[in-house]
Amino acid sequence: MIHTTEVCRHYTRGPQVIKAVDAVSITISEREFVAVVGSSGSGKSTLLNLLAGLDSPTAGTIEFRGTTLNMLTRRGLSQYRAKSVGIMFQSFNLIYHRTALENVELALYFNGSSFKERRVAAAAILERLGLADRMTHRPADLSGGEQQRVALARALVKKPEILLADEPTGNLDQENARQIMELLTELNRQGLTVVIVTHDMDIAGQYAHRLIRMHYGRVVASPISAAGGRA
Amino acid sequence: MTFRDLVAISAGNLSRMKLRTFLTVSGVVIAIGTFVAMVSFGAGNQKYISDQFDKLGLFSTMQVHRQTKTAAGDSTGARLLDGQALTDLSKIPGVRLAYPFDAITVTVAMADSQLSAKAQALPVSAMQTRLFSQLRTGGSFSSDSAKETVVTPQFLHLFGITHPDSIIGDTIVISVRVATVDSGLAGLLPRDSGWVRQQVRAIRFDSLFQSEYRQRQAKRLTNDAISRFVNGFFNHRAVLKETLTVVGVLEERGTGHTRMEPIILPVSIAAKFRSAGLSDDPTALFSALSQGTIFSLDSAASSRSYPQITLDVDPAVPLKSISDSVKALGFQPFSFAEMFEEMQKFFFYFNLALSVVGLIALVTASLGIVNTMVMSILERRREIGVLKSLGADDRHIRILFLVESGVIGAIGSVVGIVVGWGVTRIASLIIKHYMEREGVGPVELFALPVWLILTAVAVGIVVSVAAGYYPASRAARVDPVEALRNE
Repeated sequence: MIHTTEVCRHYTRGPQVIKAVDAVSITISEREFVAVVGSSGSGKSTLLNLLAGLDSPTAGTIEFRGTTLNMLTRRGLSQYRAKSVGIMFQSFNLIYHRTALENVELALYFNGSSFKERRVAAAAILERLGLADRMTHRPADLSGGEQQRVALARALVKKPEILLADEPTGNLDQENARQIMELLTELNRQGLTVVIVTHDMDIAGQYAHRLIRMHYGRVVASPISAAGGRA
Repeated sequence: MTFRDLVAISAGNLSRMKLRTFLTVSGVVIAIGTFVAMVSFGAGNQKYISDQFDKLGLFSTMQVHRQTKTAAGDSTGARLLDGQALTDLSKIPGVRLAYPFDAITVTVAMADSQLSAKAQALPVSAMQTRLFSQLRTGGSFSSDSAKETVVTPQFLHLFGITHPDSIIGDTIVISVRVATVDSGLAGLLPRDSGWVRQQVRAIRFDSLFQSEYRQRQAKRLTNDAISRFVNGFFNHRAVLKETLTVVGVLEERGTGHTRMEPIILPVSIAAKFRSAGLSDDPTALFSALSQGTIFSLDSAASSRSYPQITLDVDPAVPLKSISDSVKALGFQPFSFAEMFEEMQKFFFYFNLALSVVGLIALVTASLGIVNTMVMSILERRREIGVLKSLGADDRHIRILFLVESGVIGAIGSVVGIVVGWGVTRIASLIIKHYMEREGVGPVELFALPVWLILTAVAVGIVVSVAAGYYPASRAARVDPVEALRNE
C-alpha cells in the first residue's frame, strides 16, 4: 500500500545537517497494523509526517498505491490528506472552540461533502465510538480519553484507506490507552490499515502485527515480529 | 468547502473575539460612515439640481439664439430669428413646439399702484409645456385672445402681494406708450419754406469745392436730421390700454434658468400692443435700428425678429440631432440637458473629491484589519495546521482569511451606511433649521441613492479584502508540521 525507497528528511541548521529520517525503505501492506517505535528524536514522527504528506522528503520516494507522493503538487498532497489518510496526534489537536461534532465535521469540509452529509457522518462516527452524549461538548469539557476518541472519529469520518497515529496513547492513562488501542485493533480487523508511532514498546508489542524500530533516523531492525501480530 | 461554510466559519471566528472584532469593525464603520456622509452631500446637491431641472421641464427645453459669429467673423450676416425661422425650427423632427421670446415694456396698474414692468407673450400651447405649466395657483389663460394674464412670483413681489390666491380674479390694467416711426419721419420734413431758404443760404457755394467744408456741412445736416427724427419719434406718443384678469400665478423658480418676465400675456393681446408701434423705451428704438427692422414694423409676426426662440423637444429624440438641425438652419442652440451633462461631470469630480476623505479613513481602518488578521493568524497557527492535516490546501486557508476580512468589511459597511445616513439626517435638520431662520426655503442637501449604498458596500468589502490579502497569504504559507509541532 505504502512503499518508501531510501527516504530522507534532512534539516539544515546553519552548518549542521540534521538527518531526521535517513534512507528509510519500508513497505506497509494493506490491512496491516504497524508500529513504528523508537526513542525520542529517532525520527519516527517525521517518518509519519512524510507518510501523511504533511512533509516532503529531501531525497528518496514515497509511493501510495502506485502514486509517488513527491511528484504531487501541494494541492495534490492536500487531496491525498483529505481523502486517503486519517491522522491522529498525541495532543489530540482538537479545536477548542468547536464542539466534538464540529471538530469531526471539519474533516469533511475538504472532500466535497454537503452540510447534511457532514452532520450525519460525524454524528454516526461519534455514536459508534461511544460519544453520542458528548457531541455538543467542547474539548475542554471532555476527558483525555474522550478527546482522543473525538480525534479518532475525526480521522475516521472520511473513511480513509490508512490511519496514521502519532503517539495516540501518549497523553492517556492506562485504561484510556487500552480502550484506544482496542478501538484501533477493531478497526484494523474491519480492514483499515493502521500505522502508529509510539515509544511504548508494551503497547506496540501487544497490538501491532509488525514493529519498525528507528534509531537516529534509520530503521535499525525491520521488520520485528510483534506479539500481537497475526501469524 | 462552500462559500456558506466559509462565511459560517469566519463569522464563528469573529464572534469568538468580540472586543477585537468590535474595534476593527468600528474602524470600518467610521470610515464608511464618513464616506457615505461626504458623498451623500454631493449626491444630494446633484439630486436637488436634477429635480429642479426636471420639475421645470428644462430637460425638454432648448433655446435658440442668433449666431454671435458667422463665417465673416461677426453677427452682421447672421440669420434673424423671425417668423420664417420659427416655422423652420418647428419643422425639425423631435420639436413639439417652437415659440418666440417676445417681450415688451408695459405700465401695470393695479388698485392704487402703478409701475413699469416687462411683459412676455406666450401662446396657450407654450403655457401647457412643463416649463410654464408649474403653477402655484390658478390656471393658464383660456385662449390666445383672452383678456387674461398669468403673473410670476416676481410680479407679486413688485406689488407686495404675499398670498398668491388673493390675486386670482383681480384685474390689472396694462398700458403701453408707443411712438411711431411715422412721427419720427414727420420730424424730418421741413417745418416751413423759410427753413429751406435758411439752410440754402447757410451754404457757401464757392467753398463747396473744398473737401473739408463739404464734410463739415454734411455732418451738420446729418446731426440736425437725427435730432429732428428722434424728437419727432418721442414727442408724438400714444397710450394703449388693456384690462386683463389675473388667472394664474406661476411657481417660483431659480434665476438663470430661463428668461421669464413678471407678466405673461396671450399672444393676441401682445400683438395689439406691438401693432401700435414701437415702445417708447429707447432700447426698443436702438434694437430696431441695429436689427435693421425699423422700417418694416407692422402687425405681421413674420416681419418681426426675436432675441430668442424656445423649443419644446421630445425627450425620446436625441438632443444632438435636434441641436445639429438647429445649427444647420444657421442658429445657435442652447440645451439645458447638455448643460446638465456638463454639470454631471463636475459632480463626478466633486463626489470623487469628497469620497477621498472617506477613503483616507478607510485606509486607516484597513491597517486595523491587517493588525487584527495578523494577530488572528498568530493565535490560530495550530488551527491552520489541523485544517491542513485534514486536507485544506493553501487556497482554502487563504480564502478562509480573506472571507473573514470581507465579513469585517461587509458588517462595517452596512453599519457604516446606517451611521453615515444618521449623521446626514442630523446635519440636514440643523441646516434646514438655519435655512428657515434665514427665510430660505428648506432644501434637502443630502441623498442616499442606491448607487451610493452599493458603492459603499463594495468599497468597504474590497478594501477590507485587500487589507486581508497579506495576512491571508501568510496564513496560507503556514507549514503544518511546524504549526502542529509547536503544540
